[in-house]
Amino acid sequence: MHGSDAAVLEAHWGGGAAPFGASWQKTMMWIFIVTDGLLFSGLLCGYAFLRHISPVPWPRQSEVFSIPFIALMTFILITSSMTMGTAVTAARLGDRRRAINNLAFTIFGGLSFLGCQAYEWSHFIHEGARLTSNPWGPPQFAQTFFVLTGFHGSHVFSGLVILIITLIRTSMGKTPAQGVEMAGLYWHFVDLVWVFIFTLFYLL
Amino acid sequence: MSETTGNPYRIYRVTWIILLIITMAMLAAEAFHLPRIFLIVFLLAFMMVKATMIGGNFMHLRYERPSLALMVAGGILITSLILYSFISREFGYISRHLSN
Repeated sequence: MHGSDAAVLEAHWGGGAAPFGASWQKTMMWIFIVTDGLLFSGLLCGYAFLRHISPVPWPRQSEVFSIPFIALMTFILITSSMTMGTAVTAARLGDRRRAINNLAFTIFGGLSFLGCQAYEWSHFIHEGARLTSNPWGPPQFAQTFFVLTGFHGSHVFSGLVILIITLIRTSMGKTPAQGVEMAGLYWHFVDLVWVFIFTLFYLL
Repeated sequence: MSETTGNPYRIYRVTWIILLIITMAMLAAEAFHLPRIFLIVFLLAFMMVKATMIGGNFMHLRYERPSLALMVAGGILITSLILYSFISREFGYISRHLSN
């Protein structure tokens, strides 16, 4: 190989076997996260536009939802992200017991979040919200709520399945530290998406 | 990961506390009925700070190469802007044709 070619390959933007300086598993996981992020960005853009063009005033969220309850859901998800990060570092450092404990805490947090979301959905439906109409005005309000929180909830659910499998395999000594890290990346992504939904849908 | 000295778990606890404080500040801003424009700027700024902290500290993007961080943040941000303008234009086109 020519000297300058080698320099290009080793340069920061040169590509080569590991263009991002990460393993192929991590690179693929990040590419997946970006594509999944684009799905949510599309949904949020759609929500923003539907709200923008709505001829009927958008309802005030604090009059429809219990904001302290949504804050509790946020607290649960942020806390589960903290325990997930601890599990990833513990797995890297070879502290299997700490990794298992924190994975279990994360799963508990995820289950609690899903329980809260199920309660919120049932309460919202009980008050008359449907995909085509709702008592608060623009039908897009309930539509965007169901689509945004539904997609996010399905991601939380699939994250929980991944975490439970990771927990079982880690306790059997079958999952390497990188496996825990991949599960962690997905779980943090779920938390990241919630930050946007919480702000853009519930607060603004 | 470059943080090999000290308590390796500390960064998660610190990030967690900061995220909770920011969330409380956002809730307070919403509860105190700030003027709409201030509320929008305030909430969007804090949303971005939270997202950066989760990406940087929890997802370890701050330890990765800048090219990876740029691919993630830049890619999603730019595509969102394009998506929004695309949705706006297409919606106008479709609604005009439906009304005719």
